[in-house]
Amino acid sequence: MSILANRDTRVVIIGGVAGLNAARRMAQFDFLVNRPLTVQAFVYPPEEGQQKEIYRGGELKNVPVYSSLEEALAENPGINTALIYIGANRAYTAAKEALEASSIKLVSMITEGVPEKDAKRLRKLAHAHGKLFNGPSSIGIMSAGECRLGVIGGEFKNLKLCNLYRSGSFGVITKSGGLSNEAMWLCAQNGNGVTTAVAIGGDAYPGTDFVTYLEMFENDPETKAVVIVGEVGGTLEEEAAEWLAAKPRRIRLIATIGGTCQEVLPQGMKFGHAGAKEGKKGLGSARSKMNALREAGALVPETFGGLSKCIKQVYEELLADGSIQPEPEIDEALLPELPPKVQEVMKQGEVIVEPLIRTTISDDRGEEPRYVGYAASELCEKGYGIEDVVSLLWNKKLPTREESEIIKRIIMISADHGPAVSGAFGAIIGACAGIDMPQAVSAGMTMIGPRFGGAVTNAGKYFKYGVKEFPNDIPGFLAWMKQNVGPVPGIGHRVKSLKNPDKRVKYLVDYVKNHTSLHTPCLDYALEVEKITTSKKDNLILNVDGTMGCILVDLDFPEQSLNGFFVLARTIGMIGHWIDQNSQSAKLIRLYDYLINYAVKEEREVPEKK
Amino acid sequence: MAKILEGPAMKLFNKWGIPVPNYVVIMDPNRLEQLGEANKWLRESKLVVKAHEAIGGRFKLGLVKLGLNLEEAVAASREMIGREIGTAVIRQVIVAEMLDHDEEYYVCINGNRDGAEVLLSNKGGIDIEDNWDSVRRLFIPIDENPSIERLTEFANEAGFSGEIAERVGKIVSRLVLCFDNEDAQSIEINPLVIRKSDMRFAALDAVMNLDYDARFRHADWDFKPVSEIGRPFTEAEQQIMEIDGRIKGSVKFVEVPGGEIALLTAGGGASVFYSDAVVARGGTIANYAEYSGDPPDWAVEALTETICSLPNIKHIIVGGAIANFTDVKATFSGIINGLRESKSKGLLENVKIWVRRGGPNENQGLAAIRKLYDEGFDIHVYDRSMPMTDIVDLALNS
Repeated sequence: MSILANRDTRVVIIGGVAGLNAARRMAQFDFLVNRPLTVQAFVYPPEEGQQKEIYRGGELKNVPVYSSLEEALAENPGINTALIYIGANRAYTAAKEALEASSIKLVSMITEGVPEKDAKRLRKLAHAHGKLFNGPSSIGIMSAGECRLGVIGGEFKNLKLCNLYRSGSFGVITKSGGLSNEAMWLCAQNGNGVTTAVAIGGDAYPGTDFVTYLEMFENDPETKAVVIVGEVGGTLEEEAAEWLAAKPRRIRLIATIGGTCQEVLPQGMKFGHAGAKEGKKGLGSARSKMNALREAGALVPETFGGLSKCIKQVYEELLADGSIQPEPEIDEALLPELPPKVQEVMKQGEVIVEPLIRTTISDDRGEEPRYVGYAASELCEKGYGIEDVVSLLWNKKLPTREESEIIKRIIMISADHGPAVSGAFGAIIGACAGIDMPQAVSAGMTMIGPRFGGAVTNAGKYFKYGVKEFPNDIPGFLAWMKQNVGPVPGIGHRVKSLKNPDKRVKYLVDYVKNHTSLHTPCLDYALEVEKITTSKKDNLILNVDGTMGCILVDLDFPEQSLNGFFVLARTIGMIGHWIDQNSQSAKLIRLYDYLINYAVKEEREVPEKK
Repeated sequence: MAKILEGPAMKLFNKWGIPVPNYVVIMDPNRLEQLGEANKWLRESKLVVKAHEAIGGRFKLGLVKLGLNLEEAVAASREMIGREIGTAVIRQVIVAEMLDHDEEYYVCINGNRDGAEVLLSNKGGIDIEDNWDSVRRLFIPIDENPSIERLTEFANEAGFSGEIAERVGKIVSRLVLCFDNEDAQSIEINPLVIRKSDMRFAALDAVMNLDYDARFRHADWDFKPVSEIGRPFTEAEQQIMEIDGRIKGSVKFVEVPGGEIALLTAGGGASVFYSDAVVARGGTIANYAEYSGDPPDWAVEALTETICSLPNIKHIIVGGAIANFTDVKATFSGIINGLRESKSKGLLENVKIWVRRGGPNENQGLAAIRKLYDEGFDIHVYDRSMPMTDIVDLALNS
């Protein structure tokens, strides 16, 4: 048995993220004691219509968010309890609405910093409606084995350590939230655990008091003793003492009171909760409370540390007089375990998960990214450049200084080729249409293909094939190409010819052959091919795609990476064009009619649809 | 609880039609001379000058000067402003009209759980404690403000009669309005005086406590509450308050000069029990501290460094109950960093550190702080199986 919350308790949480966290903790308890989800609805207008994901053990549940309490209650008629998690400036209105709803019997408020006047009015309202208003600043209510309201009890492991999966014989009432958990632990360690623990909050005027709950515990046959953790300030502890002394009580009372240190503190200094303030002439002092409780017959240790012994003593007396039976030992191994997250189990090596992807080039799980094992900052420190990073990520090798210089030049000379070509033009049209950089650059990028810039890979691939299969037989290679592929990729140019050579090609070939020691079988082969093809037609020269492809093959880059150099280089140019158009505030463009041949049907009537 | 100074209290009285004497609050004595040129009452009335600071026992410290003319008031404020009292410096004085009066009354409202209680006596002034039997009480349930008729009757019960009773009833009714609307926790006016020649009333001295948690609905609360610890805050205390103001959760710190046992404790409830345990075992606390509500690690680190800098401490109690949701691993990482930083500055020599804590990620947190032993800290770490405040006993017996 229990007070305040039991297996029939169904909850609406009013508030945002703190409420969601509480609901998740509550669901862990639901799982432990094998009950359905306690939280049935959230009320939080900014997130109206959303579903909040909550795990009850391994089961994923969705809890709806409503914009009004009325709606939440209409759709979830079982709700009888409201938890207030909303900010102090809205807490009063939320709690008032809940107290006025006929189906809600208990409202508990965790919100801190609620004005005293608001708390007083809520207390009065609760009285008028015959309901309970617990809090403000209450960590929650825990009925062992039955129901958890709020985050009281902490993490899952602690719920088990405090025996909260089953009912004991001790009630707990505290002002402090942290000490409610401590007191539950003490009752489990020195006794047989708790029936219900309730935190009333440390504010000056809590909505409930010790006596309200003592009366309830007195009427709960399973509760044999109650532990109260009180504090200096107010008169709630004195009232508890009066209650105890008023007539013979069934339950035993153990009490500890914080704030005796105020006796020696400098005048006027106060610590702790808002309510922890001594009145004039020692009224509400910790000492006067301790004395009152002792006189009334409660067991009151001198310090909190002495609480363990008191609980143990009462437990043993209750066992001795037969009020309670010793609890059978519970095999903790039989208690459910929260299903662990995949990552946790993998760490322990108990499960194998097949990876979805595999990477061989880069890893950012440490302090900084590593490219094929090398820390990015160390590469910078040791004088490596962007061309070395390209080589690492595309070819997993650090190039020599000579090789880097070649890669750098390839990128530099292909970075842009004016606004007229397909890629740049596409990006410019995009920029003029007002779209953002990534989209405009992608528009240009989509142009890269067999007719524009996309020949590097195939050029490299086939010249490499020629070197291997037709080493000294260029006519044989050309015949094979004609039969199996078509025109040789990397050969031919729309405007350039032998007489009007492509300066980029000349420069690259000259640089590689005369200023580096790179071994260039593929480039040499392509130049031999060019001799034959130009003899047939003047413009069948080795073009820039072909030259790049061959040099990159000679640099040992994998075939499928070769187009990447054009893509990378042109990205620089296309970004430039986008920035250029935007900085000029270029307007939307469209083709003039005279640039279009309208080879269309004459105007005609649309026939009726058949 | 937030006590406010007389100046802001007078302003609120004015707002609610409670009679106050003319007054000005100044920081610069020259300004008072110029105010004198602008205000007839400053030139023609007897004046009182009081230090406008949160300092108890002002009268004995010579920080209240009575019966002055303007020239003397300027001299008195010149003398007071800039004076150092302990760690406090007088920066403001309040200069008020000293009303010649015939009688002194006492009126007070204190909040309680069900509403408020009005206390009224026709024998006010400095002897009110001796005349406590004359005080009459009226309970006012929350949201049920009494009628003027009822309050006049109440004034009659307290020994007032005729027109004076009516006027007192009216003042009390305005005081109730002020109390209710301004989220006050207590207002004490002593004395409320009357000059019978022109039936003029004035609240000559007032102590007012406001509920600072309600500031979100008071646009005109342009003042800060004064320190709640009986003295102005120290620089270190203000730094921690400043951090407290901008984090989730909270960190709190109050210095208690001369103590040997420093507290680095968690939770508003447990921290007080740790202070109690030190006192109960005959020790002296060097401070009160509290972190709660899962504050960020850097805030706990700042609190730790502040505590490590306390002079002449012999022990640090890193204590706490079994937390509900404050992450022990995360908050302890702040404490560990703070302890390391302090040690590297040469602090913590011959200081013993005692740890007891439970809560989310307790095993990782305790294991991490235990490692400080290998770094040369004199540290003793216990888990939840150690009764909460028993580390204080261990510290004091070591």
